[in-house]
Amino acid sequence: MHVQELILRLQRYWADRGCLVGQPYDIEKGAGTMNPLTFFGALGSKPWNVAYVEPSRRPSDGRYGDNPFRLYKHHQFQVILKPSPAKVQEMYIESLEALGIDMSKHDLRFEEDNWESPTLGAWGVGWQVVLDGMEISQFTYFQQVAGIDCKPVCAELTYGIERICMFLTGIDNIFDLTWGDVKTDDGVFPISYGEVRHREEFELSAYSFEHANLELHWMLFSEYEKEGWRLVKELGHFLSAYEQTLKLSHTFNVLNARGAISTTERPGIIKRVRDLACACAKGYLENQEKQMAEQEVK
Amino acid sequence: MSETRTLLLELHCEEIPARFLKPLTQDFAAAFTKWAEGEKLSFGAIAPLYSPRKISWAISGLPVAQADQTELQVGPPQRMCVDADGQPTVQGQKFAEKWGVTFDAVRFEQPAGKKEPCAVVELTRKGRPSLDLLVEALPRLIAGLHVPKAMRWGHSSFEFVRPVRNVLCLFGEELVPIEVDGVKATASTWGHRLHHMSHAEPIPVCCPEAYEGALKAAGVVVSCTERRNILEEQLEELARQTGGQVVKDEELLDTLSEIVECPRALRGEFPPEFMELPKEVLVTSLKEHQKSFCIEKTDGTDLLPFFLTVANRDDDPAGFIKAGNEWVLKARLYDARFFFAEDRRTPLQDRLEKLKQLTFHRELGSYLEKTERIQAIATGLAHALQLDFAQADHAARLSKADLMTLMVGEFPELQGVMGGEYLKHEGEPEAVWKAVKEHYRPVSAEDAIPGTPLGGLLAVADKLDTLAGCFAIGQIPSGSKDPLALRRAGIGITRILWEQGWTLGVDALVDLGLKAVASRASKPAAETREALLGFFKDRVTYQLEVAGYAGAVRRSALATGWTDLVDLKARCEALSAFAEDERFASLAQSAKRIGNILKDEAPAATFEAATLQVAEEKALAGHLSRIEGAVDQASLLAALAELAQPLAAFFDAVMVKCEDAALRGARLSLLHRLQQAFLRVADFSLWQ
Repeated sequence: MHVQELILRLQRYWADRGCLVGQPYDIEKGAGTMNPLTFFGALGSKPWNVAYVEPSRRPSDGRYGDNPFRLYKHHQFQVILKPSPAKVQEMYIESLEALGIDMSKHDLRFEEDNWESPTLGAWGVGWQVVLDGMEISQFTYFQQVAGIDCKPVCAELTYGIERICMFLTGIDNIFDLTWGDVKTDDGVFPISYGEVRHREEFELSAYSFEHANLELHWMLFSEYEKEGWRLVKELGHFLSAYEQTLKLSHTFNVLNARGAISTTERPGIIKRVRDLACACAKGYLENQEKQMAEQEVK
Repeated sequence: MSETRTLLLELHCEEIPARFLKPLTQDFAAAFTKWAEGEKLSFGAIAPLYSPRKISWAISGLPVAQADQTELQVGPPQRMCVDADGQPTVQGQKFAEKWGVTFDAVRFEQPAGKKEPCAVVELTRKGRPSLDLLVEALPRLIAGLHVPKAMRWGHSSFEFVRPVRNVLCLFGEELVPIEVDGVKATASTWGHRLHHMSHAEPIPVCCPEAYEGALKAAGVVVSCTERRNILEEQLEELARQTGGQVVKDEELLDTLSEIVECPRALRGEFPPEFMELPKEVLVTSLKEHQKSFCIEKTDGTDLLPFFLTVANRDDDPAGFIKAGNEWVLKARLYDARFFFAEDRRTPLQDRLEKLKQLTFHRELGSYLEKTERIQAIATGLAHALQLDFAQADHAARLSKADLMTLMVGEFPELQGVMGGEYLKHEGEPEAVWKAVKEHYRPVSAEDAIPGTPLGGLLAVADKLDTLAGCFAIGQIPSGSKDPLALRRAGIGITRILWEQGWTLGVDALVDLGLKAVASRASKPAAETREALLGFFKDRVTYQLEVAGYAGAVRRSALATGWTDLVDLKARCEALSAFAEDERFASLAQSAKRIGNILKDEAPAATFEAATLQVAEEKALAGHLSRIEGAVDQASLLAALAELAQPLAAFFDAVMVKCEDAALRGARLSLLHRLQQAFLRVADFSLWQ
């Protein structure tokens, strides 16, 4: 199973089950949850099913491409189902079968793992899904996003693309996975994950652990924050303000990986990100209500 | 005896977190018991059953209906209900009407609390069918369960631990038609997930008695105790096959029993190259990341390159499960080895500076400051205990540096252990690395205290700093509030002093701690000292309890001094042995009597033996030298035992408070000296 085939199959599977197929959002982020398709989609009452792949950057997890199991940037496949269907676990299990996993031969467990994102003011309860001892997915029933109760509740499924691909192929080095085949007039060239991404892992790890300019990042942090508040407060523009929130969050992660944030400072800085995220969510909901009111008038 | 049946209730849910299973089944059982009492329904027993996807209760011996209940209704006095001719009055008629009976049914008797006979009617209230009662009560009892981390799902506003997908509820063979968040009860349930795959329909359950069997046939062992027994046996057998034994971990076994429905232990191997990792790292990494047990040699020393884990199905048809677990474990150990290698590139000494950035407590400063205080206390202790001063200082200096390592960042429970391992690698003396390694011990009541003197010293210094620091800023544990686990620290210190037999007094120890934290204190030192001493006295009292001394021994021994634990222990031992001696009762009696006589007296310490007149008192005085000359508790108590008879004889023959002032003074002085000797052991006035 190639990395790209895995993504394609998941997209097909969830599209067939009534999901929009979304795209990654083009700003650095730590997890697929931060994509506006999820962050805003989980709010409010309208039905919302969406699936997409999201490159997720975790500067502290960088290993310079040396560790066969860990990455600075990995790929999450994210599914949001709102409201959460009664057969959501069965749907998930069938998706694994769609990937070619014969469930009659494996050991599957749902082990408690509750999710919380202090920077987004979000939390949910759920499980990590463990297949033959390996955690392959996160499964969460969102309870709150941006401090607002989710009504109805949505289910979020997050597949670790690289993990599952390793599991399926039995290859125990991420960089040895095959991303896909390049076919030209000269023949077929299988391209490995390492060819596509190894140098990137090395440089980005080095950047976030050693070379990131701290002064610049502190400056960026406060400028993104200022910009975000200006947009959401003065203009009521919650989407452009949310982009600033994403940048703020990534800047925080870079500073954190450089060890520039002490344990005492951390909660205060996380709160600054969260406050802006909450303001964006509030703006989104207010706008939605306004739109619904206008539709009623018509 | 009326007919009884078993009630079976099962909530089939999406996977319930292991930690909630037992509390939830217990809470429901308690709520049901309380409800049944209120309804005057008796029952046999509640068997709580649970698995990851089920919480169930089989409640036996429940009657099909409440018993009929009679109650007396009391009305007006007889004289107002019946006229002179014995005919009912209007009031009498009205009373009968009120309760729906004819006047003939009204009796006259004098109920308790009334001064004269009154009209009474006896009413029989028909007991209601239990089924009706259950239909009303069960949904309420379920909704009333307290779930610590409750969730909502879908459109519903119902909150529970995880989504409820099926409700099975039978009273005998009869369906109890309840509804839980829109899910209607049925006489069927679902088996193991693997069973679903080949069976589209739920499994029928005809009656409560068939429940466990029906589930077993569908791949679920619903009794957690049974799963635990199965696993324990399998784990032991798998370990035995390698020539080793399981590294026991009851907590892990509990967890594993709670996360599978169909228990099966399996053994895997890991590459021997990972054996270079310290044993603690392997055990912790396997447990925390993969819920796996290690296998050690039967002498409990080294590990073998195997691990044991548990699958949620009875077989491994393609070998995927074993291979998958081995594969993941390798990835985890790879990470652990990366941390181990990376950490060792920087000596702990060089990490001290970074401790400045790690806050120990907002008001007590950074870990670097804590380190400096531990050093101060440790060197003070070394001085008092005549241990190597420089080594104590050095070990204390390095004790917290491992908090900045990757391994401790990943596995906080390895704090101390890693410091020790890294220092060993750096070539530090054994006394130093061992002290750092074990200075968090004892981490629980079951855990041993540090095995080396320097380890004990460092453990006391660290805990004492935390205690004295927190007390000095007014953070004193009260009731159930003890967020910093200060009581555990106090118990740890007490156990070390007690078990190591240190002659250092608790009061001296407290002063050492107070001195170290003085600059951070916000409360007056005298107040803190008093609070700390009170706190330690409670811990010492507890220690005596744990050591198994009888109440009388504890009370009387504590009353004459508790800060020197070596002395206290010797007195308790001697007293416990002595209490068996038949002479003891008489001696304790006499000691009490002496206490009463001397209550308001202040006799001189010396007296002229020649002043004494009666033979019995002269004999008693003859014992003084031996008693006062006793060098230890054992010989003192032996001498006191000899005193039982002469003392009893003395009190029979002598009237202490006689007219003759000189004679009285001498007798009082004699008793005073004896009392002093008694108090060297215990205060017998508290002996009962």
